[in-house]
Amino acid sequence: MKLALKAAIFAIACAMFGAQAQERVIRIGVVMPISGPGSYFGVMGREGIDLALEQVKQPINGYRLQVQAEDSACSPLQATNAVKRVLDQFKPHIVIGDECSDASLAIAPILEQAKVVQLNAGSVTMKLTESGYKYVFRIFPNAEQQSLPLAKVAYERLKARTAVILYEKTNAGNDNADGFEKPFVAMGGKVLAKIDFGRDVNDFTAIATRIASLGKVDVLPTFALEGQTVRLSQALAQARVVKGGGGNAVQMGSIWLPYGYDQKAGQASQGYVRIVQFDPTENRKIVQDFIKAFHAKYGADKMPTHINAHAYDAILLVAEAVRRGATDSDSIRDRFTKMKDVEVTTGRISFDPKGQNSDLSVVHFVETQNDLSWKGLSWR
Amino acid sequence: MPDLLALLVQQSVNGVYLGCLYVMVALGLTLIYGVLNQINFAHADFVTVGAFTAFFTATRFATKVLGLPDAGAYLLSMFTALGAGALLGLAVNAAVFAPLRDRGDELRPLIATIGVSVLLENAQLALFGPIPYQFDSPFTRETIRLGRIFFSGQSVLVVGVSAAVIAALYAFMRFTFLGKALRAVAQDRETAGLMGINPSLLIGLTIVIASALAGMAGALLGPVLVLSPFAGASLIVKAFAIVIIGGFGNMQGTIIAGILVGIIEAFTVQYLGSGLIDLVVFVLLLVMLVVRPTGLIAERKEENV
Amino acid sequence: MNERVKARTALGTAIVLVLLAPWVLDQPYWRGILVVCAMNVLLALSLNLVLGYTGQLNLGQSAFFGIGAYVSTLLIKSYGWNFWLAALVAVGAAGLLGLALAAFAVRLRGHYLAIASLGFAVITYQVLVNWENVTQGVRGIYGIMPPVASTTALFYLVAGIAVLVYVLIGNLVRSPIGETLRAIREDEVSAASLGINAALWKAFAFGIGAAIAGLAGCFYPGFVGTLVPDAFNIVESFTMLAMVIVGGMGTMIGPVIGAIVLTFLPELLRGFGELRLMIYGLALTLVVLFMPGGMVQAWMALRARIR
Repeated sequence: MKLALKAAIFAIACAMFGAQAQERVIRIGVVMPISGPGSYFGVMGREGIDLALEQVKQPINGYRLQVQAEDSACSPLQATNAVKRVLDQFKPHIVIGDECSDASLAIAPILEQAKVVQLNAGSVTMKLTESGYKYVFRIFPNAEQQSLPLAKVAYERLKARTAVILYEKTNAGNDNADGFEKPFVAMGGKVLAKIDFGRDVNDFTAIATRIASLGKVDVLPTFALEGQTVRLSQALAQARVVKGGGGNAVQMGSIWLPYGYDQKAGQASQGYVRIVQFDPTENRKIVQDFIKAFHAKYGADKMPTHINAHAYDAILLVAEAVRRGATDSDSIRDRFTKMKDVEVTTGRISFDPKGQNSDLSVVHFVETQNDLSWKGLSWR
Repeated sequence: MPDLLALLVQQSVNGVYLGCLYVMVALGLTLIYGVLNQINFAHADFVTVGAFTAFFTATRFATKVLGLPDAGAYLLSMFTALGAGALLGLAVNAAVFAPLRDRGDELRPLIATIGVSVLLENAQLALFGPIPYQFDSPFTRETIRLGRIFFSGQSVLVVGVSAAVIAALYAFMRFTFLGKALRAVAQDRETAGLMGINPSLLIGLTIVIASALAGMAGALLGPVLVLSPFAGASLIVKAFAIVIIGGFGNMQGTIIAGILVGIIEAFTVQYLGSGLIDLVVFVLLLVMLVVRPTGLIAERKEENV
Repeated sequence: MNERVKARTALGTAIVLVLLAPWVLDQPYWRGILVVCAMNVLLALSLNLVLGYTGQLNLGQSAFFGIGAYVSTLLIKSYGWNFWLAALVAVGAAGLLGLALAAFAVRLRGHYLAIASLGFAVITYQVLVNWENVTQGVRGIYGIMPPVASTTALFYLVAGIAVLVYVLIGNLVRSPIGETLRAIREDEVSAASLGINAALWKAFAFGIGAAIAGLAGCFYPGFVGTLVPDAFNIVESFTMLAMVIVGGMGTMIGPVIGAIVLTFLPELLRGFGELRLMIYGLALTLVVLFMPGGMVQAWMALRARIR
């Protein structure tokens, strides 16, 4: 009896020791803005990452996921310092970052040189995947992927011939605005005005008045964050420019606006047509599970946004790569390039040769109804 | 109404409204400067704190705990915001302005208030997070139309309350003993002290009034602004410009300058582009400083030789 | 004689410290911070000349930093100029802009000058943002190479320049010109009665201060690799101001200490995450309130106590 007990204890000890010895770590660096105005993105990104880590707690193929986060404050200088710091001290196999386009572009050459994979889950700038970096992968739709469908739908489905483009004065806003203008004009449409504004503009009545004075405007593609877009839409409705205010113009937007925008903007958002990628009303199991877990962790009245979802997906992808046998940066890179139709909350992932996710099968249009609910539209 | 005329009138209306927003922020600044000769860099952050106080009062406390209707809740929130501003003013006066008062140093209190501004902004960031809050007063969704001209209900409230506050302040300064004593202290602190007025007390009172104004401005502006801890930063520099254009320490000048800047901003948006607003306003500021450094309405104080 | 020896040993020590620093802090991250520190020292010295020694309330120093960065980068990238030639022109451009601000300083004083200089900085920033045809605006300029390849070499370069500037300004400040500037700081009206042409010397101080800030700006884009206008908004001016004040305004070593402390402090506070900037603001307020002469004054007081 004693012998059996000893043997059992010995066996258990061996198993535990063996398991410990086998447990390896995949180090994930996270560079996101946690201070300053950019923390809008970083805080949401961290929420998504933390939630994903909770769910991937068990080792995969004996590998644990370990994360170290650094603050980039949306500035190229600080992002550069942050990424150098994380490379020096943590030696990650992969870095998730950044949210702001400026910072993402600043850290790309450093990560490229260090041969560490950069997985971007939040920037739209075309330059990130057009500069020939071999270690960059992006799951966030880039500016052209977002704006081209808008232009097509505007011209072909909504029969729009005139547009006024409204965008925030940032790299992302600029790229999206250009991404709409080029195809729209090429198809024969006319852009009456391109109106940009800084992130510190609060009142849009003057801009709305200006648009009202431009004559017949068919569509108003808008590329700004939720806070400003709410005020903008309300002003446009007051000026009787958009449908929500009794006008004729259709406001159009991209994935920037989270679910819940319509309730905040109220009647002004009626008739808003936009592209949605992360859709909380979608029936896919992975989406609903994510929402449930998000509610459980962050509160029942807090609805996840696409920024939460993309960051969450980034961790899922790393976990998937590890599941497929990746153990270091180059093997992670290899698994990423081979990924086809990997399902995540924001759709499916298949990276094209430039590192951009080109599977947009989940992306669809919605139109805000009079009761502020979404009506899914079948255009693509 | 012909198109062009309607447009000009509408943008002017927009400008006046925008100007009133700025005046509400700048008025407190000018008050403090008039009496103390100091700039409170944290002033706009007081506005933001006021806005958050109003938000939480109106949406959480008044409606859910006290069960007040929306309009009543909003009214209550204006008072709590006023109180919050007053408290902050008291704190900053005690910590920064009072200890440094007698040295006549222009730089140190300014920098100390810069520090306070950074502190306040980041404290709010830690408390409230970076994601903007949706603060809608019962008046924001109402639109009032006069022919082809429109304005939101909130804008009427802002203009109305600003006008009332300005009138009240003016009456206070002109007709009450306290107000006259304040003006005496502003003109010549030493002599006022000799005449039995306690300058420190009055200066403290002015700062509290000015900060309470800022707090209430926050309650009025909350439904207009994109409400996040960074809202203050978007207002402060323009507020300074207005204070200078109008003449440091001069209430009437500040009001005129504020409305002027608002109108200029509206027309810049119409004809030049909204990205150029700051540029135009500050070029105007520099031009004013060259042409008429004492401001639109000449400052009554002369610099001591 | 004693002063000379002290000064020489101090300089020698400084040079030794500079030479050793990249080997003590030998990770790429810390070496990068050293480069930023050297740039900040230059900026603090430049502001101190105008603010500390000439007494001009200048909140617009970020404008000159930005001009230095953009003019040099555009000449190099768009016209293929050599770095040093481009830097020379950039420094000159910044200096000229400094003279323009000086024109305001001649007529304005105190808070008026403070807000005017702030406005100056805002205008410069807005020009950088809006003149997209030339500066690329918010899109940014990418792929900028530093003048020397390794971070260590860049640090030696910038730190070397900082030491040189320090020595030069130190000599300037001890010379009759320095006395003139200080006279203007103390009491401009009395200085005028002594026959000092305040306008001329203010222009001098602003010009030199702007030129040095522009010089620091030349190294910035190469270090980061990308150039966006956001790096030159008015918050930069406040950071520079903080460095000068916290270190000790109106002394030579003060700005250097302030720059070093305020460069390394946020990095060391990184562990505090969200509280980092709050602590920064609190520290700034407390120093200004209780240690008006900055760390230099605190150090002197400490030494006096020990004796």
